[in-house]
Amino acid sequence: MGTSDLDRQIAQLRKCELIKESEVRELCNKAREILIEEANVQRVDAPVTICGDIHGQFYDLMELFSVGHDCPDTNYLFMGDFVDRGFYSVETFLLLLALKVRYPDRITLIRGNHESRQITQVYGFYDECLRKYGSVNVWRYCCEIFDYLALAALVDDRILCVHGGLSPSITTLDQIRTIDRKQEVPHDGAMCDLLWSDPEEIDGWGVSPRGAGYLFGGDVVAAFLHANNLELIARAHQLVMEGYKHMFKDTVVTVWSAPNYCYRCGNVAAILELDDKLNRNFVIFHPASQDARGIPAKKATPDYFL
Amino acid sequence: MMQTETRAAAAPAPAPVPAPVAIDMKVSLGAATAPTPASAASLPPVTCPFRTPERRIITKEDMDQFIASPIRAALVDFIFSCSDACRGLKISHPVATSPVVTAVTSVLDELEKIADATPPEENPKTRFGNPSFRFFYDRVQKALPTLLEPVVRPREAIVEVAKYLEKSFGDRKRIDYGTGHEANFMAFLLTLYRLNLLTDADKPAIVLRLFVRYLSLMRKVQFLYWLEPAGSHGVWGLDDYHSLPFLFGASQLVDHKYLRPKAIHDMDIVDMFAKEYLYLGCIQFINRVKTTASLRWHSPMLDDISGVKTWAKIESGMRKLYVVEVLGKLPIMQHFMFGAILPFENVSGRAVKDEDLEADDGHLHYFFTM
Repeated sequence: MGTSDLDRQIAQLRKCELIKESEVRELCNKAREILIEEANVQRVDAPVTICGDIHGQFYDLMELFSVGHDCPDTNYLFMGDFVDRGFYSVETFLLLLALKVRYPDRITLIRGNHESRQITQVYGFYDECLRKYGSVNVWRYCCEIFDYLALAALVDDRILCVHGGLSPSITTLDQIRTIDRKQEVPHDGAMCDLLWSDPEEIDGWGVSPRGAGYLFGGDVVAAFLHANNLELIARAHQLVMEGYKHMFKDTVVTVWSAPNYCYRCGNVAAILELDDKLNRNFVIFHPASQDARGIPAKKATPDYFL
Repeated sequence: MMQTETRAAAAPAPAPVPAPVAIDMKVSLGAATAPTPASAASLPPVTCPFRTPERRIITKEDMDQFIASPIRAALVDFIFSCSDACRGLKISHPVATSPVVTAVTSVLDELEKIADATPPEENPKTRFGNPSFRFFYDRVQKALPTLLEPVVRPREAIVEVAKYLEKSFGDRKRIDYGTGHEANFMAFLLTLYRLNLLTDADKPAIVLRLFVRYLSLMRKVQFLYWLEPAGSHGVWGLDDYHSLPFLFGASQLVDHKYLRPKAIHDMDIVDMFAKEYLYLGCIQFINRVKTTASLRWHSPMLDDISGVKTWAKIESGMRKLYVVEVLGKLPIMQHFMFGAILPFENVSGRAVKDEDLEADDGHLHYFFTM
């Protein structure tokens, strides 16, 4: 697959058009070669723009690129949850993956809890692949890629980016580095916690109401930042009305990049722009206007009703 | 240094309409076939001692076992027979209301008063939901034993019955609500049924009085505290919060003389009949909430289903959907609770109490692994 092929596929995906199943397979093969070389904690240089959950909201991702400026002119770091719930998980993930293959040093993708075989079979990505391609192959190719995604990213050795949060099994970044990440997201343990945990106004650790991961308090964060010489944990995973939210004296920030979630929540979205001095600029954006969106192809009747 | 700004995209070029995607509809979904359930008749009668219900579906093996269990069969039977009982009936249809039905309605009335007396916090500065929901939840939890005292016999069973009703209102910690919480309301009604306080004769009233009452209270609570949709399937599910109004609602409309499934697109018809038919009430409600786009965008599944020829076919599809998507999914059922009235002995032998999860003092009380 040459660069011009890839550029053509990127152009197609940017118009929210699907690429062929054989092209998906080839794209995933190429992506695997790149991702396999990445560390569990992938090093990223500032300046970079950090983004939260997208959940298949393709046209809102276009809005994100419009306000944040296109990749590769801007460096991007996406903190997972590309798929599920939205209309266009396939186009969203494949575009980000194609950009990764085309500009590997300009975009970083880390894993969210939805980049999982189990979760995507419940929350829509599996159904979407089946409906758009008529088989489960694309879903399988993508799930294999999910297994290769880094678990975290480290910006200039100072800002840790992870989808969920911290783990009682992890006190140092080196411990994250020792995880064997190339597997389905486990039900428990360090790798699960990094993708599922939430910060909470408590002391120490709490059991998570999600049923996976933990709740962690400000004291845990302070100790972790100190032990690892960090200034901030950027994470996603939780819906935020205002698009972003700080906790624990600005040592944790949640960034959420899916505006008007489920067409109901009325939230704005945010991205975090870091300049080369790690100064933080939060950019808020609203959903793409309805005119900007195509008309979704009428899907056939769900199987239950045939 | 930190700052915030708002930016909007430049006006975009209009996007073309994509060609319809050819789909091979013979491809099976695999997960769409529900496993054969055990018979509800093999569920033993309720025995003491009653105890605070606990979570028992912890591992995937537990989930598989639950799917094949008599208690799940009993829950399915109960819900489906309630759906049968309201077939072809408007909400205002006169139905027999026993003293227990009247008493449960009064309990829901009292819970609504608690909501009215627990206004949302102004300028809460929280992530999403309003923290006053936790005050509402705690007040409900505290009030229920007293409110249920006139209803529940034996009185020792109140500790179990109350837990399911409490859980019907959402998750206290996450300030969210979803189909799992809705299932808890049916579980609450099932406990009363298993205690012989509600009978088969009450089933029309269970839907047309009790469930309708609960739904209206729940919509109020969702708005009052801005509850986050818990585990919504987004455009791949029916609705962010509810499943049963579509099941019961389709049953109500079976064999209706002139209202067809495609009527959901006619706003005048929807407005005219929303109060009498749960399904149309849902459509009206969703359109009022999701105002930035049309049904085809925000609820494509409902849009697609409107192309089905009969309500009977929709109702039967809703049954399959409910069994697989609600009662068959670990992310929902891992939160479900079991005791003496709704019993389940799991493979893993592990159990998780509520107190283990809701203690806010920061100490990890119960390390469980899945």
